[in-house]
Amino acid sequence: MKPRLWPYLIKQAFANIKNNGLVHLIGLGTMVVSLLIFGTFLLLFVNLNAWIEGWGDSVSMSIYLEDGADDRAVEKIATYIESLPSARIKNRISKREALEELRKSLGSQAGLLEGLSRNPLPASLEVVFEDVEGRTIEFKSVKQELEKMEGVEEAQYSEEWLRRFEGLINIVKLVGYVVGGLLCVGVLFIVTNTIKLTIYSRKEEIKILKLVGATDLFVKIPFLLEGMFHGIVSGVSSVLALFLGYLLVSGKKIQILDLPFLDVIFIPGEYVFAMILISVALGLVGSFVAVGSFFEI
Amino acid sequence: MIQVFHIYKNFGPNIALSDVNLKIHKGEFSFITGPSGAGKTTLLRLLFGAEKPTSGHILINGINLNRISRSKLDLLRRKIGFVFQDFKLLPNKTVFENVALALEVTGESRSFVKKKTHQTLRLVGLAKKEKAFPLQLSGGEQQRVAIARAVVKDPLLLLADEPTGNLDPDLTRDIMVLFRSIHMKGTTVVIATHSRELLEDTAQRIVLLSGGRVIEEQ
Repeated sequence: MKPRLWPYLIKQAFANIKNNGLVHLIGLGTMVVSLLIFGTFLLLFVNLNAWIEGWGDSVSMSIYLEDGADDRAVEKIATYIESLPSARIKNRISKREALEELRKSLGSQAGLLEGLSRNPLPASLEVVFEDVEGRTIEFKSVKQELEKMEGVEEAQYSEEWLRRFEGLINIVKLVGYVVGGLLCVGVLFIVTNTIKLTIYSRKEEIKILKLVGATDLFVKIPFLLEGMFHGIVSGVSSVLALFLGYLLVSGKKIQILDLPFLDVIFIPGEYVFAMILISVALGLVGSFVAVGSFFEI
Repeated sequence: MIQVFHIYKNFGPNIALSDVNLKIHKGEFSFITGPSGAGKTTLLRLLFGAEKPTSGHILINGINLNRISRSKLDLLRRKIGFVFQDFKLLPNKTVFENVALALEVTGESRSFVKKKTHQTLRLVGLAKKEKAFPLQLSGGEQQRVAIARAVVKDPLLLLADEPTGNLDPDLTRDIMVLFRSIHMKGTTVVIATHSRELLEDTAQRIVLLSGGRVIEEQ
């Protein structure tokens, strides 16, 4: 292919798009929506991962004390905790404070507690382990050690349910793969049919081009460029739309299960690049499939 | 220039051409004639590589069309001009663009395409209609655009299928004068026609087809 042909072929690709504006617009719209759904899954996945990592950085532990545990036993527990790396006692909650907190959280239902003959809630110590990432702290053995100590009824740590949360991430990941795969097939189908429609609308012109000696490549390249253009525009548009959505959500404060406020982050640069790349690849493959079944002239 | 050996062409059960043998030499001006359905258009399409024969061989300038690859056929077509009875012009392109198309596909420089297209449109008498669209032209003018597109690349061979079929006698004469002038430049010309008047005006080689067979050569 002579280099001087390229300006003509590019001009032809844009002329095709202009002449079949509506078909292209519908195709582009559908492609952007599909990629946006895919991007939303990506955003959700990235944020869930980041949140879990963030929470994992500061594991908390609640040590419930036996009723009547004496000060000496509590001090012994506190000394043990402070000997652990990066551990800090955040709160000492007495039985009375625990009941008061429960009463607050029950709100209008607090009357239920009036009938109690005695306070059933244990006193507790709230412990946080900060910046645990990279450190080797065996929470399970700490828990076992604490539960053997005098005055301790039970110890619970947040990582137990974080592990369960990771299961949720895996489900999101799996759903993302399945939905992403199906959307890719859908996008491929849309591009193929959009390009096929433009080929059909130019059928007579293609016949004439072939009759005056145009090579197959000369006829096909504008359609491949159309597919690539489709991919670039839809990829960039869907990333922009995703970013707009992100700006709307990131302004709001999100809190789950009394955990610290969550910061919503945008998908990293390499994911943005991958999204656009996938879109361009789908555009090219789709147009390739469309021109592959070129009629023989 | 053209050698046809024992050509057969069937469309399903219908026999379009049967054992056609033909030789047309370089620089000849030939007519292929016969009644409707004689196989004239089919023979021309075979010479152009638009159809493949059921059996037999066709050599154009020594190249066997049965053995030619698609890409080589594209290149061969650049040396053959084809004029259709229904003109086959692109309605959304101007006269100039329609003619220039035949050169643009070859990757010629823009300045050359421009110069050659202007020259050719002058040759066919349409220099002043370059910017017009085909549907703004008369039938004769449209046919001249089609001829300009076929000859703009200086073909070795010019094939024309009923080029005057839709034209009145005056326009027919004009078009034939045009073919003569192209022939004078050294191009081999083959015209398929069923018009007896066209044949009477010119004393050239005539191949008469009937029922898919060559029944007479003059």
